[in-house]
Formats: sequence, structure tokens, C-alpha cells
Amino acid sequence: MSRDENPFGELLQDYVLECLPLAEQVVDTFVELERRWRAEDPADDLLGSLPGRLHTIKGNSAMMGLAPMREVAHALEDACGLLARAPGRRNDAAAALLVAGGGLLADLVRHASPELDPAPADRYVERVRQWQASDGAPASDTQPERRQTDRRGGGDAAAGAEKAASVVRVDFRRLDAMLEVLGEGLIQHSALAEAYRELARRGGANEEMDRLDQAVIALQKTLKRLESTLMETRLLPIATVFGRFPRMVRDTAEAEGKRVRLLQAGGETPLDKAVLDRLSEPLVHLVTNAIVHGMERGDVRRRAGKPEEGTVRLEAAPQAGRVVIRVSDDGRGLNEQAIRKKAEALGPEARGDDSIPLRNLIFLPGLSTAERVSTLAGRGVGLDVVAGAIHALGGTIDVDTAVGKGTAFTLSLPVTLAIARSLIVEIDQERYALPLAHVAETVRAEPEAIREINHRGVAQWRGDLIHVADGGMVLGTTARPAPRRFYVVMAAGGKRRGLLVDRLIGHQDVVVKGLDPALGRPDVVSGTTILGDGRVACILDAVRILEGGRRAG
Amino acid sequence: MPHSFLVIDDSKLHHQMYRMIFSRGPLAGSTVHFATNGREGYGMLAAHPELTLVLLDLNMPEMNGLEVLERRRAESLHPHIPVVLVTTEGTAEDEARGRAAGAWEYLRKPFQPADVERLVQRALAEAAPAR
Repeated sequence: MSRDENPFGELLQDYVLECLPLAEQVVDTFVELERRWRAEDPADDLLGSLPGRLHTIKGNSAMMGLAPMREVAHALEDACGLLARAPGRRNDAAAALLVAGGGLLADLVRHASPELDPAPADRYVERVRQWQASDGAPASDTQPERRQTDRRGGGDAAAGAEKAASVVRVDFRRLDAMLEVLGEGLIQHSALAEAYRELARRGGANEEMDRLDQAVIALQKTLKRLESTLMETRLLPIATVFGRFPRMVRDTAEAEGKRVRLLQAGGETPLDKAVLDRLSEPLVHLVTNAIVHGMERGDVRRRAGKPEEGTVRLEAAPQAGRVVIRVSDDGRGLNEQAIRKKAEALGPEARGDDSIPLRNLIFLPGLSTAERVSTLAGRGVGLDVVAGAIHALGGTIDVDTAVGKGTAFTLSLPVTLAIARSLIVEIDQERYALPLAHVAETVRAEPEAIREINHRGVAQWRGDLIHVADGGMVLGTTARPAPRRFYVVMAAGGKRRGLLVDRLIGHQDVVVKGLDPALGRPDVVSGTTILGDGRVACILDAVRILEGGRRAG
Repeated sequence: MPHSFLVIDDSKLHHQMYRMIFSRGPLAGSTVHFATNGREGYGMLAAHPELTLVLLDLNMPEMNGLEVLERRRAESLHPHIPVVLVTTEGTAEDEARGRAAGAWEYLRKPFQPADVERLVQRALAEAAPAR
């Protein structure tokens, strides 16, 4: 069908804009499926996320009269449907079929045109039909390279058998259950310690009190040891996520016609499995961006006096109870001018104020997509999505770039989502937990030290002016600011903000529980926990508060 | 009086397509409201009793098309406004469920601008006495 025949032909760029990110997510999910199936994880959650995306690509392609994409998306939809019904067919051959189809789909969408050659799509659809009709044994056209991988997989299994005697497999949910019990132990310890303090306050010191004190301290140490042992069993080396990158970098670079090598460091850095599971997609995004948008072509690099082969680095390291991950490249760097121009076009919130740091602009929703369509030298594909995913993990993301030298993204993540070392504060008679990762300092709030500028409290802190918000206003428990005795300075990703509170209660490791979505909590609350006295307390989302959460004013 | 339409679809591309349809030919000058999910769309439907026609996508996050129809029927929200359920390769079964839930018509992708124009003409003709 020629372009003129389709009434929506002029929307071709909009089509690419909408479908390419979807197609790329589909590819990522397929690669991840392959990895998880190899680890004998059925990955039903991942399979379940696919039909919606494929369906949208199919519908859009149909409207645009782009039959090859429609057919491939349809075939993949069918294949995923079959795999959802038949877990027994989830094997390497099926994964390879999906990865190949996802790659083809993304490729077709990327180069969308009414004059596309339909042959590769037809061949692929035929391959899927044959696979559907077969009994699930590896397809005859399996590439030699993949067989090699299979053999290596077998070798690993053999080596693993030697270790098997000292290793047991445990369902991750049982580790969660153990953590719950530990959490209760920690709460009971807090209750005991509080009772002791009350007794000491009333009765003063004697020998029995000393023994009780020692027992309470010893119990705390034991619980701490239990906690760290339990946490260790939940932690996996970040290499389990890094492992997929060498191949991905090779494939992506090849598809882009570029030479890129990947250097990794810190793969042994441990992270909670729950964090790792949600880290994979943002990292793939960043690394793909580095290759597709950050890296110049070989001839351009040579002319610029750089080695023809580009380097992408993926590094992780533990740092002060958190894990810092850096994704960097030695490519062209961000095109600040182009990004500012795009941000300006996005509207008043982002209007070209040169004082807004680039790092705040690049994570704006919508900016990335505009970049992609115009194929400007810059990049920023879905960086708002990446930042959102990192923030949801209680992490921060920052960018550093130099024109001609490269770009580096630095992520800081909590080691675990299960336990958060927190500062407990009181605001309007309610207690709240503030994760210490984002607490810079607590300050006594002298009334004359906080001034009002543009109806917002402002205070001097370490030589800078920072906004200080009333805790009750942020949480919606009061309509107007109240006099409060302290403020907590919170910091993340270069942002700082004070939060006025009535009392500072102390530090405590809190076991994080999810929020019941039915409860209409303010958006600055990320979860709940139970305190030493059995009271339920909300855990405040420092990143949201720093962003000026809905009611932060 | 110019017509007014509501498009409920999570695809920005489809918003663009409808924008083209409603800004050219016989429907030029129409007002079009857009929602990106069923929840938002339901709110906009409630706020616009003057709508000529609603185009409702079946597959959406946060309340799909069927859920919108079912809630609308349960709450008898503007029953005079015809709602067209839009699907990709929907089965006869889908169509039956859509109609049972109160869809006035059923539109399959891929469709042409003329298909939408015809639906609007029919909606005007059928709905006129009821208003």
C-alpha cells in the first residue's frame, strides 16, 4: 500500500514515536524471559505484561496500513498466548523465537515506511506458525551460536551439582515471611527497651535494673545479627543483572553499525533480590541510550581523535549503606542547547530558564520523545521513565555530561526495600518514619531563623538558602503552618528541603510494609510500619517531599 | 450547532487520527475532547452532556472500555449519548458483550475517516427524536 492510500500516512512519525518504545519494551521483556526461564522461573508476571503492548502495536499498525508490523505483532501475541497456557513450552527455543520476533518488530517500527519489504515479516510469521504446530522441541533453524550457549548452560548445571549438597532452594516468599517475624521481634525489643527506660526513670538504678539493661542490649545485638544474616540470604550479586549486558551491548552496537565495548566492575556488589528485579529495565534503558544516542559513529570518533571503538562502563559499588551504580560512555555528550530548546517547547513549567540545571530538564516527561522524533544529536529516550523507576525504588539519579567527552548517569539505591533505617518524628501527635538515606541533618527551628519569602519558609543551611515546609501542611493534617520545634533537612539528587516537625523521637530500623491502595494517603507517604509501641506509622517518601509533593506548597 | 465528540483511547496516535477526522471534511469545526484512560474518560463523559458521540477504545489501562460501559449503565449516565466501542480484530463474542453492556455501535480497526463520518450521521439521525 502506498503512503497516499492511507488516510493517516502523515502520522508516520507519531506512529514511530508511540510504537517504538513499546516494541523495545517488548524486546527487553523477551530477553528477560529468556534469562528467567533459564533460571527455571516461569515468569508469569512478565508474560502477562506483553499482550497489552503487542495489542497496541497491532492496532496502531493496522490503522497505519503497515501490514508487516501488524502481522508480526499478531504472531507474537499468539505465541505469548500459547506460552501463557502451556508453561511446558517455555524453553530456550521459544525464547529465541520471541527475541527474534521482538527484534524484527522493533526494527520494522524503527524504519516504518509504507514501502517496507514484507518478506522478513512473512518469513517470521511462518516460523511462528510452524512452532505453534510443533510439539515445542527446538526449531530446526536454531542458530549454531545458540546451541553453544545451551552447551555452556549444561556445563554450569554440572558444576552446580557439586555444590548442590550444601545449597537448598528456598521460595523467596518464605524469606519475606521470615523478615516479617524478625520485624515483630524488633518491635517487641523496642517495647521492652521503652519499658526499661520508663522503669529506670521511676525507680532509679539497682542491680536487677542493670541486668535487665544488659539483657535488653544483648537481645538487640542478637536481633541485629539475625537481621544481617537474613538480609544476606536475600541479597544477590548485581552480576545477576549485569550478566545480560555483554550480549545486549554487542547486539545493539551491531544493529547500530557501531563498535562498542562494555567494561563492567563491581558485579559482586550485593543487592536485595526485590531491588534487582526492578533495576534491570532502567539499566537496559540507560545502556541502550548510551549506544544508540551517546555513541558517535566510528568515522566521527576517528575525526574527533577518539578511539574508533566506543566504551560503555557499567559499575557498581557499595557506598554508605547504599549501592551506587554508574552507567557512563565516552560518546558525544548531551546536546544541552537542543535539550533546552525542546524543554522550552514543552510549556511553561520547563520554559527555557537557563538557571534550571540540565539534570532537571533531561528527566522531564515528554522531552525524550521529542528528541527521538527529531533525531537530534542529543538523547533522552524515556529518561523520565527511568527516573520514575529509580525514584520508586527509593533511589536517586543524576547526570553528568561534557560535550565530546561523554555522559555518566549515577544511580544511588537502597540495598533493600524491606528494612529502612529511619528517623522517627512526630507531627501533629502522629509519628512518621523518615528514611535516613535522605536525611542530611536535624536542626532546632529558631523562629527568627526561618523567614517567609513568597509565602514559603526559607532558612539558611550550611551557607545555602533552602525551603522549609510545614510538616502538617505537607501531610495535610493542618490547614496552616503551626509553630514547630525542629526541622529535618532532607537531601536527594542535589535537592534540599527542610521539613518542620514537632518532636524528634529517635532512630529505628523499620520493616517496610506496603500501602493499602484503598486508603487515600497523601502522595508523600510511601509505606507504613509498626513502631516499638505497636503504633502504626507512615513512612514518608523523601524524594516526593523534595519534589514538592502535592500538598508541600 | 457544531458537534462535540469525546475520544477515550490510551493511544496518542489515535488521538491524532481522530483529530484529523474531526478537523476535515464534513465534521470540520467540531469540538473534540480527549481522555487517555477509562477513568478519565468517564469523568469527561459526566461533564459533557452535550456530546454528539463517544468513541471508546476497548483495551485500556485503568478501566477498559467494557468497564466504562458497565459503570455508565449502572449509573444511567447520559444514556442519550451514543457510545461506539472501538476494537482491534474484536471477535463476535467481544461485540456481543460490548452491545450487552450498552455500546451503541461497534467499530473495528483499521477504520477509515469515512467510517467515523457515517457513524456520526447515523447517530444524529437516530438520536434526534430522543433529544
